[in-house]
Amino acid sequence: MSASPSNKISSIQASSVLLYPKGGKPSIITNEWLIWNDSDNKKTFQEIEHEQKVLVPFQWWLSQGQVDARDPSSAVAKRIQDKTIGIWFTADEDILKHSDVIEAGKSAWALVAADFPIFRDGRSFSTAALLRERFHWTGKIRAIGDVLIDQLILGARSGFDSFALRPDQNLEVALKQFDLFTVTTQNSWRDRRSQLNTSQAA
Amino acid sequence: MYIYDYIDQTLVNERVTQFKDQVERRINGTLPEEEFRPLRLQNGLYHQRHAYMLRVAIPYGLLSSDQLRTLAHIADKYDRGYGHFTTRQNIQFNWIKLEESPDILADLAKVQMHAIQTSGNCIRNITSDAFAGVAADEYVDPRPVCELLRQWSTLHPEFAFLPRKFKFAVCGAKEDRTILLCHDVGISLKKNENDELVADIYAGGGMGRTPILGSLIKENLPWNVLPSYLTALLRVYNRFGRRDNIYKARIKILVKALGPEEFARQVEGEWETIKDGDDNFQQSEWDRVANHFTKPAYKSAKSIGTQDLIDSAPANEQAAFARWLERNVKAHQVAGYASVIFSLKPHGSVAPGDATTEQMLAIADLADRYSFGELRVTHEQNLVLADVEQENLLELWHQAKAQNVVLPNIGLLTDIIACPGGDFCSLANAKSLPIAKAIQERFDDLDYLHDLGEISLNISGCINSCGHHHVGNIGVLGVDKDGEEWYQITLGGEQGNHAAIGKVIGPSFGAEQIPDVMADIIDTFVKYRTADEPFIETYRRLGATPFKEAAYLNRSKESSTGATI
Repeated sequence: MSASPSNKISSIQASSVLLYPKGGKPSIITNEWLIWNDSDNKKTFQEIEHEQKVLVPFQWWLSQGQVDARDPSSAVAKRIQDKTIGIWFTADEDILKHSDVIEAGKSAWALVAADFPIFRDGRSFSTAALLRERFHWTGKIRAIGDVLIDQLILGARSGFDSFALRPDQNLEVALKQFDLFTVTTQNSWRDRRSQLNTSQAA
Repeated sequence: MYIYDYIDQTLVNERVTQFKDQVERRINGTLPEEEFRPLRLQNGLYHQRHAYMLRVAIPYGLLSSDQLRTLAHIADKYDRGYGHFTTRQNIQFNWIKLEESPDILADLAKVQMHAIQTSGNCIRNITSDAFAGVAADEYVDPRPVCELLRQWSTLHPEFAFLPRKFKFAVCGAKEDRTILLCHDVGISLKKNENDELVADIYAGGGMGRTPILGSLIKENLPWNVLPSYLTALLRVYNRFGRRDNIYKARIKILVKALGPEEFARQVEGEWETIKDGDDNFQQSEWDRVANHFTKPAYKSAKSIGTQDLIDSAPANEQAAFARWLERNVKAHQVAGYASVIFSLKPHGSVAPGDATTEQMLAIADLADRYSFGELRVTHEQNLVLADVEQENLLELWHQAKAQNVVLPNIGLLTDIIACPGGDFCSLANAKSLPIAKAIQERFDDLDYLHDLGEISLNISGCINSCGHHHVGNIGVLGVDKDGEEWYQITLGGEQGNHAAIGKVIGPSFGAEQIPDVMADIIDTFVKYRTADEPFIETYRRLGATPFKEAAYLNRSKESSTGATI
């Protein structure tokens, strides 16, 4: 199995995504977002213009996207207005170094995503937790890359509410994951620990 | 001891259901082995040389007699009639079938036990002082903090796929009995000047390929903010620990690369933003948990002097009983009580730390009869009855004899710590158990062992160091050279307050040479020792040279083929 995020993301686009809003129920919807990876040299940003909604690499946003955004006639500015642009973070992105960009992104990005280059790489759980806790990100955060059924609960509790599962994953089985645990013993983005809910402890 | 509430019980029950489904998907082929592996590991299930091995957590080493009976039944029903107590206060069953593993977890859940996070790249079973709550030198009883952290770390979503495994140890006594400095995080509890419970935090310790002692990164941390502080610490590690090389992925490598001060600064920076959150423990949570660790109903009894105890034994048993009192019975906080260590290190007959179903059942009965139905598991792989009335010591000694667990060798050369090694473990380079057996057989004279005094001898079958060889006064490490098993010797390691990593003395030896090499090292000690000096002090005084010379004298040809690893 490839551990390279760029290969995986450029070659595989999920046709469906699992949504699990905080306080809501999980559901499967059609995926509208293309994950664009500029580093695979296949397509330029102009060449994906026809795509309805695009997630661009955060590093591209830093070097190009935020510059373009200042020009109201640019494709980026138009997408911001249409809410058809978002960014994705690689697993090794140190998001705390870019707090002002992320603050500004709250009014520019319709979606943010964090990549799992391989399912057993847990860095993006911390990325999601920091986006929720530190940046108070209230929009959707999507898990992308090597996203498997058995990582869903962890992701959902860390801060993700949208999952582009690897295409071979059984979505019916995936949907059942969120009912497995009715209690929790540490706080997370989704819920406080059950011990603080005294009526349940009785 | 702690009793599960509705939340704890529901969590382990639901975990069993989850794992059952994962095993079914593995068996029906929809979940490939590579993706199943971390899931089974986080439920304690390894795939070893012969079969699956299940590692069950004994959180901070505390066990009830009913729990021990369940372990005995599991050994009988699903295994070959024995279990192996490990160096991290777990028990392992070596002959497990994958399809039966969810049933075992269900049996465990019925007695408030689990195998959650006994393996995998997550926060492992939290270990502590086997004499917590009873040791005469205790500042604070660490068990409430251990239990609160057990709950906090169980199924923690952010830290289930760390760069590598992550081990906590917690101690609260003057003498460290937890090898605190060899843990990813060591939590040393004490009271501050206002009588408040606070913790000193040591980070970046570990054994393995690169043994390092932990560095103090935070002092006087109030107990209740441990969750936010540890979240900050683990978050720094999760984000920046190395993932490109399994041998450089432990937190010790990150702490070393950054330097302890810089690591501490980064943790502090992260903590600053979350320190006031409601992750932190509340007083009500402390009260609920600490309430389970109150003192048992001790009788008011007078302390009995050692000589009086010895005199109470029949004349022909006094020498043996005295020896047992000296080695296997420890001082207690409460007058008239003592803690008793059952040795799971009989000479040469079974693997260190092994106990049979019959022994476990009998020991559970002894715990009920003599120690309020509770037991402890030590990281030295022995069992403890922590609260025995001194008046009952003789009777207990007589009854425990039948189970072959009264050998008075605690802390002596044959109280060997050893991993299962190449006989079972698929990671091992070499066997550990035959080496332990050969040494125990060679040094089978109890008088001689007692004269030698305290010496720790630790054996690991590979560099993962499950046998804690780095902190043995004498360490033996199995190494593989061109498919052959060789053994490297280290000297000068120590656990406790003077924790030290042993140093390699030179080229490795063949298995058959080890008992003779040990004899040469011990003879050297005897030759240079002053009065009752313990081995480690003689070593410190003289350095490695005389031991090294003795070990390699007339042996240079045999061992010259062995390269130092």
